[in-house]
Amino acid sequence: MTDDATRTLGKGSAPPGPVPEGLIRLYSMRFCPYAHRTRLVLQAKGIRHEVININLRNKPEWYFTKHPFGHIPVLENSKGQLIYESVIACEYLDDAYPGRKLYPYDCYERARQKMLLELFYKILGYQNTIFFGGDCISMIDYLFWPWFERLDVYGIADCVNHTPALRLWIAAMKQDPTVCALLIDKNIFLGFLNLYFQNNPDAFDYGLSC
Amino acid sequence: MSGGSARSLGKGSAPPGPVPEGLIRVYSMRFCPFAKRTLLVLKAKGIGHEVININLKNKPEWFFKKNPFGLVPVLENSQGQVIYESAITCEYLDEAYPGKKLLPDDPYEKACQKMVFELFSKVPPLLLSFLRRQNKEDCSGVKEELHKEFSKLEEVLTNKKTTFFGGSSLSMIDYLIWPWFEWLITLELNEYVDHTPNLKLWMEAMMKDPAVSSLFIDPKAFRGFLDLYLQNNLEACDYGL
Repeated sequence: MTDDATRTLGKGSAPPGPVPEGLIRLYSMRFCPYAHRTRLVLQAKGIRHEVININLRNKPEWYFTKHPFGHIPVLENSKGQLIYESVIACEYLDDAYPGRKLYPYDCYERARQKMLLELFYKILGYQNTIFFGGDCISMIDYLFWPWFERLDVYGIADCVNHTPALRLWIAAMKQDPTVCALLIDKNIFLGFLNLYFQNNPDAFDYGLSC
Repeated sequence: MSGGSARSLGKGSAPPGPVPEGLIRVYSMRFCPFAKRTLLVLKAKGIGHEVININLKNKPEWFFKKNPFGLVPVLENSQGQVIYESAITCEYLDEAYPGKKLLPDDPYEKACQKMVFELFSKVPPLLLSFLRRQNKEDCSGVKEELHKEFSKLEEVLTNKKTTFFGGSSLSMIDYLIWPWFEWLITLELNEYVDHTPNLKLWMEAMMKDPAVSSLFIDPKAFRGFLDLYLQNNLEACDYGL
């Protein structure tokens, strides 16, 4: 079970206290692909963190002090600094924390990854190595991954049938320890989707035993 | 700025040769606000560069090999590496070239500049739709939306208590949003910042910046361009030359 397997906070909940020193807090939701990006980076860099899941259909009033429109993901550190927008949060973590750098050191290669992000939905013709950044997994792979993991669940994995490079990439990604550690259980995700499309506010806590 | 006022290249033109060592090339258009971002950073950092203007109403076929989207600005260096998307070109220049850093080193301050950039993102399409309508239908809905977006930016300046969006001196975020405020001035729409005093003061401070003032568009040329551009006239991009 991943560290974000906790019930969501909704309207009427007490605001959480300040973030303890040595930790960074992520406001998230277990099934959101944007928040998933940030969780991937936290995991890949081994950053100590705590996760507070937000009920997106029944947002706590205090949450609007973290983000003006109540979006996720949002990072909050022990200085009370808030960072939002998934790509900005991911870059912040890469800059602020030591260890493995996910964005390349070379500024042209960094620019190339950012251009690739813009091409996200037109990617099929552009991949010429196993991973999008080269022979090793890097930032751009984690930024793309959440959507491809969900392809399988949505039952549209067939759309990569005629793109062998992409299928190979998906297989290679599933071997990555970080991706594996956060892989969503297919049945739980389907259960979530089912309730979500019925506008059931219990959707966000589906699959939690506590 | 060599070639900055040169005629644009259009369909049927010969592709330019490789970029000489020691220079970086920017594919641009004299009146494009997105390309203006890149020109401002090149000027502010004193980077040696050459400009090739592209006729955006009649694009050369070879240009799509530089940028599959066919948009300006595009950077090309002497190694043949190509970078596009205006914000990405600006960040690349800041990282690749020495001298004054326009983006802060502090990860949180850098993230703040990017969050302000997101906050600004509705302004360019709004201003463009405002300009498209001006002589036709009632545009009070667009005016109201513009006021709302400007108020968001005003709030940033009010909370930071600094002149510029990144602090007490001019930095990347100021250059990235400037070109659209330059439009307000050239089109005499300054009243749009009447209810946002800090934004007004910011504009005045920006006008004193050497890079901003040296690249300021001639209002007559801009109006002439805009008229032709909105009519899809092939000569628009070279107006005034």
